Amino acid sequence: MSWQPEVDELRRREKLAYQMGGKENVERHRSNGKLPVRERIQRLLDKDTFHEIGAIAGSATYQNGKLVDFEPTNVIIGTGKINGRKVVVSADDFTVRGGAGDLTSMEKQIYSELMAYELKLPMVRLVDGTGGGGSVTSTEDSGYPHVPVNPGWDYVVNNIGRVPVVAACLGSVAGLGAARVAASHFSVMVEGISQLFTAGPLIVKYGIGEDLTKEELGGVEVHRSSGVINNIVKSEDEAFEQIKTFLSYLPNNVWELPPVIKTEDDSNRKEEELISAIPRNRRKPFKIRPILQMVFDKGSIFEMGRHYGGDTVTGFARLNGYPVGFLANDPYVRGGGLSVESCHKIERFVDLCQTFHLPIVNFVDQPGVSIGLAAEKQGLIKHAVRAISAIYQATIPMVEIILRRKYGVGGAGMSNAHRLRQRYAWPSADWGSLPLEGGIQVAYRRKLESSENPQALLEKLVSKYESFRSPFLTAEAFGLFGIEEIIDPRETRPLLCDWVEDAYSLLPQQLGPSTHSMRP
Amino acid sequence: MNKITSSMTGNVWKILVNVGDQVEIGQEVVILESMKMEIPIESEISGKVSEIKVKEGDFVNEGDVLITIE
Repeated sequence: MSWQPEVDELRRREKLAYQMGGKENVERHRSNGKLPVRERIQRLLDKDTFHEIGAIAGSATYQNGKLVDFEPTNVIIGTGKINGRKVVVSADDFTVRGGAGDLTSMEKQIYSELMAYELKLPMVRLVDGTGGGGSVTSTEDSGYPHVPVNPGWDYVVNNIGRVPVVAACLGSVAGLGAARVAASHFSVMVEGISQLFTAGPLIVKYGIGEDLTKEELGGVEVHRSSGVINNIVKSEDEAFEQIKTFLSYLPNNVWELPPVIKTEDDSNRKEEELISAIPRNRRKPFKIRPILQMVFDKGSIFEMGRHYGGDTVTGFARLNGYPVGFLANDPYVRGGGLSVESCHKIERFVDLCQTFHLPIVNFVDQPGVSIGLAAEKQGLIKHAVRAISAIYQATIPMVEIILRRKYGVGGAGMSNAHRLRQRYAWPSADWGSLPLEGGIQVAYRRKLESSENPQALLEKLVSKYESFRSPFLTAEAFGLFGIEEIIDPRETRPLLCDWVEDAYSLLPQQLGPSTHSMRP
Repeated sequence: MNKITSSMTGNVWKILVNVGDQVEIGQEVVILESMKMEIPIESEISGKVSEIKVKEGDFVNEGDVLITIE
C-alpha cells in the first residue's frame, strides 16, 4: 500500500543528478580552478536554504525498462536565501556538455526568470559555458536547423525593472551566456577562470580571421574597462561576497523600500581632515575616495565599475544605516571631465537608483563634458545629454555637495535645477558657464584683437574675473543661478545624515515600477 | 617592454624621470596638464626607464606612449 518504493526511486534519481557530468568531468573542472556548480550554489546561499526545482530533469538511458544512466540537465534552478532574504538562483553546469543548451535547459532558464518575475524576488545567475546557448549539433539531433530564440527574454528584459538581477561569469562564457551576464544590474568576473565573449576564439578565427586566445579575446584585462562587467574579483568566493554585498543595499523588488540597517557609526562625526581635503592650488587634483570614506558610514562604500569611465565614481553606501547611491568625480582621470563611458555609467547608475528607490548623493567636481577633436568624433555631447536626461527623469531625492568645479552643460546637468535645489557648496567651490581660460578670449575677442597691448589687457581681464571668483558672491544672489548654502566641509556627514531621513520619508509614495523602465 | 601611456588629451607639463632611472609601481613619472590642472601619471609596473618618447610642452592624445619601461 505504501509509495515508499517510488520515494526511494526519487532519491536514487536525485543522487544520479547530483553527480553532474560524472566524476571525470567534475575532476577536470576542478583542476581548471573552477568550483562545481552545486558547490557554487552552496557557497552563495545561506546554509540549508536551497530549494531546488527540477533536479531530476535530464536525459535518461533505459535498459530492459530499467534506468541505467542519467545525464542531468545542465541548468540548476531553485530558490534560496542570501543573508536571510529569498532569491531565485539559476546556475549552469559546465561539466555537462560545456553548458550547451537543449530543450530542458531552456525550459529551466525560462522557469527561473518567470519565478523571479512573479514571486518578485532577486534573480541571481551563475553563468558558465555557453549558458544554454545553441550548438550546430541541434540540427542533427532534431533534423532541422533551429531559428534562434533567446529563451524567456520577455522576463529577462522585464525583470530589470522589477527585481535586482545579478550575474557572475564563472568560466568561459559565450553567446547566450554572455548575454545573460550582460542583461543584469550588476555582474562580476573572476581573474584567471573567467572569459566572456560574444563568440569564442574558433568562431572568431574562422569568421573574421582574428587569431586570439580565450584570455586575449575576453579575459579580465579586456573586461576590466569594457563596461560589460562591473567588478573584477580574484576568486569565486569573492564573487559570491560581492553579489551578497550588492544585494544588501537593495530591496527584494521595486515595491519594497531599501533595507535600512542599524549602525554604530556616529551620524554627527565631523572629520577634521575634510577642512583641508581640497588643495587651495586650483591646479592640483585631490583623491576623492578618502573624502567619501570620511563622510559615509564606515565600511559601507561599495564601488562599482571603477575602471569604466573612471572620471566618474559610482557606488552604493550608507548614511546612518540608510542605503544611498553616490556619484563623484575623480580629477586624476582626465581631469574628471565626462567621457562616453562615464556618460553611459551615469545613465545606468541613476536609472538603477531610480528603479530601486535609492536616494542619490552627488559629490561634484565637474569641469564639464570633455572637449577637443577626439571628444567631438565620439559624439560626446549626445551621450552627455542622455546621462543628463536620466538625472532629470529621476524622481528620487537627490542632493549635491559641490566640492570644487561645476562648469558648463556637464556641471549643470549633474542635478535637476528645476526641482527643489538641494545644493551645498564647500568653500573651495568654483563655478561658471565657461572656464576663464578661453572664455575670456571668446567674450573679449574684438577688444583683444584691436588692443595695442593684448597681453596686458588679457592679464587685466583675468585679474578682474579672478576677483569675482568667490562662492560668497553667488550665495548673496540665491535663486536659479545662485547657491543656497555654503557649508563647513566637516559638517558634510551630519548634514547628509539629516537629509537622508527626509529623503526616505518621501520614498513610500514612489514605490512600484519607475515611470521609465530601465534597460540593462 | 612596457609602455606608460597618456590617460588623457593634454600637454606634457613635467617629466619626472630620466632614462636609466629605476621606477616603482605607483611612482609618479609624468605630469600632464589639461584644463589648467596638473594630473600626475603613475607607473603601473616597476623597472628601468628605457625611453622617454615625449618632451615637456608636447601635446598628447589619450593613449599616446609617454615612457617605456624595461
